[in-house]
Amino acid sequence: MSDSIIKVEHITKEFKILNHREGVKGMVRDLFSRDYHMLTAVNDVCMEIKQGEIVGYLGPNGSGKSTTIKMMTGVLEPTSGTIMVNGRIPYKNRAKNAEEIGVVFGQRTQLWWALPAMESFKILKEIYRIPNKDFKDNLEYFDALIGAGELYGKTVRQMSLGQRILCDILASFLHNPGVVFLDEPTIGLDVSIKSKIRELIKELNKEKGTTVILTTHDMGDVDALCKRIIIIDKGSILYDNTIENLRSYFGAYRTIKLSFQKNSAGLAAQDTYEVEKLLHTAFPNAKSLNVRGDEDWTEILLNEDEITMMQVLNIIQEKKNITDMMLQEISTESVIKKIYEGGVQ
Amino acid sequence: MICKNKFPRLRYLGLTRGSMMQSLAFRMSTLVTILGNVVYLIIIYYLWKAIYASSPVASVNGMTFSDTMIYLVLASALFNFMNCFIIWGMGRDFQSGQFVLYLLKPMDYQVFWFFSTSGQYIISFFTTFLPTFVIVYIITKGSFALGVNLIVFIISVCISVMINFFIDFFVGTICLYTQSIWGVNIMKEVVVALLSGATIPLAFFPDKLHAFANLLPFQAIYNAPLQILIDRSLDGKDYLTMLGKQFFWVIVMLVISRCFWNLSKRVITVNGG
Repeated sequence: MSDSIIKVEHITKEFKILNHREGVKGMVRDLFSRDYHMLTAVNDVCMEIKQGEIVGYLGPNGSGKSTTIKMMTGVLEPTSGTIMVNGRIPYKNRAKNAEEIGVVFGQRTQLWWALPAMESFKILKEIYRIPNKDFKDNLEYFDALIGAGELYGKTVRQMSLGQRILCDILASFLHNPGVVFLDEPTIGLDVSIKSKIRELIKELNKEKGTTVILTTHDMGDVDALCKRIIIIDKGSILYDNTIENLRSYFGAYRTIKLSFQKNSAGLAAQDTYEVEKLLHTAFPNAKSLNVRGDEDWTEILLNEDEITMMQVLNIIQEKKNITDMMLQEISTESVIKKIYEGGVQ
Repeated sequence: MICKNKFPRLRYLGLTRGSMMQSLAFRMSTLVTILGNVVYLIIIYYLWKAIYASSPVASVNGMTFSDTMIYLVLASALFNFMNCFIIWGMGRDFQSGQFVLYLLKPMDYQVFWFFSTSGQYIISFFTTFLPTFVIVYIITKGSFALGVNLIVFIISVCISVMINFFIDFFVGTICLYTQSIWGVNIMKEVVVALLSGATIPLAFFPDKLHAFANLLPFQAIYNAPLQILIDRSLDGKDYLTMLGKQFFWVIVMLVISRCFWNLSKRVITVNGG
C-alpha cells in the first residue's frame, strides 16, 4: 500500500452547462438564461498507481481523460471523491503538488517561444529551485541519452514539432518529479521521432523511477511503453489491467490477411466485397467475423472459438485464387477499438 | 532562514531575465512602437498648436504651449513604456487554455505574470521612455529641473508600473468571463488614457471631472510621476504626498486584483477552463 504514488477513490466530476438555444434570438436569450444541465464528465473513477509504473490512460475523445488528469494535477477539483498524489490532495496544495509533478501537453508548450531552450530550462531551474548539481547532471544525462545537447542552444520558435516536444518532455523531467503526466506526447510526429520519444520516456522511467501517466491515441506508444492500461469511456473505467491480460481475453482472435490474383477489373475492393459475402453466407452466426480491405490485402478478423481459420480458408479458396497469405495475432489497436465499440461488457 | 529568503528572489529574477531577452528578440516591434509614437506626437503637436492659436492668451489653464507639449510627449512615452499587452496575453492564455500550464507551476499566477513582464518594462523604459526624455530635454533646452526630482521620479515610475500592472491584471482576469479580449482592452485603454491625464492634461478638465479623476487610481499612474518630473514648484512635502497617494493606490489595486483572481481561480477549479 505504501508504494502507491497516486490513489484515486470514487471521484466524480460534474460540470454545469448552459443549455444553448438556436439562432441569433436564442443566443440573445442565452445571455440571460439560468437554464443549466449537469454533465457528468467523470463518474465514480477509482485507480491506484504504483511508484515507477508507466500506465497508459486510454479513451476515445471526450471520454473524461483530460478531466481526470486535470484533477490529478490539481487544476480541477472533483465534485466528490478523493485523490492523493504523493500523499497530498492536489487541488488543495496545488503549488506544493506542482513541485513534484511534471506535465507535458503535446499540443502546447511550456517553453519560451522566442528564447533558446536552455534559457527556458534556466527559468524552470529557478522556478522549481533545482540545485545546480541536479540541473547540470540532468542536462548531461539528456545529452548522453538522445543527443539533446544540440537542441539546448536552439530557439524554440525555430524547432520542428518533434524537437519542441522532445524539449518539453526534458523540461518536465528537469526537477526530478515523482510523477509525469504526458498528454499525447507523440501527436503529429513522424515515425523516427516517435520512437526516439518512446525510447526517452522508457529510459527516464527506468533510470529515475519516475511514474508516468500517458494518454495517447497511438497504440504504438502503448505497445512500446505500457505494461498496464486503464481505459475510460463516458466517464467510467472500462478496463484496468495489464495489456497481456487484455490480449489473452482476445487471444482466440486472429487476423488473416489475404492477397488474390487480380480479377479482370483489377479492383481490390471487389475482392473484399466478394469475400465478405461469401463468409457471411457460410457462417451466419459468427458475430466476431469482420472483413475489410485495402489496395493489396483483404483482412479477415475472426474468433477461433466460433470458427477456425481452416474453415474460412477452405471456403475462400474454393471460389478465389489466393496468391499470398499472412497470419497475425490481434493488434492492440484492434483490441482497444473493440473495447471502445463495446466489445467487453 | 536566509536561504529560504534567497530562493524566491532568484525564482523571480529568472523570469525577469527571460522576459528581457524575449523583448530584445522582437526588435522590430520596438521600432514600430517608436514610429507609431512619432506619428501620434505629430498629430497632438498640431492639435494643441491650433488650440493655443485660438486662445487670446499664451497660457491656458496655467499651462503654456510648451508646458503642455512637454507634458503630453512624456505622458505618451510613459504610456507606451508601460503598455506591455498583459490583457492580450492573459486573454489569449484563457482562450487557448495555455494558462493551465502556468497553474501547473509551483508559482502564483499573478506573481508569474508580473515578473515575466518585468523584463519587458525594463527594456521598454530604455528603448521608449528614455530616448524621448532626452530628446525633449535637448529640444526644450533644459526646461525642467534635473535634481532630486529625478530620483523621486524613478521611485514614482516604479509605483506607477505596479498600479498599471494590477489594473491590467484585474482587467485581464475579466477576459476569463467574457472570452473576448478586444472590447475589454479598448474599454480599459480609453478609460485609462482619458482619466489618467495621459491624453489631455488634468488641468484642462472641468473642475468636477478633475475632482472625480483625482479620486480614481488612474491619475496616479501618469499624472503623479509627470508632475514630479516637470513641475518646478513642488517641494519635498509635495513629493511625499504624491508618493503616499500612489502607494495607497498600489495597495488598493493589489488587494482588489488579488481577491478577484482568487475568486476566479475558484471558478476555474470548480467549473473548468
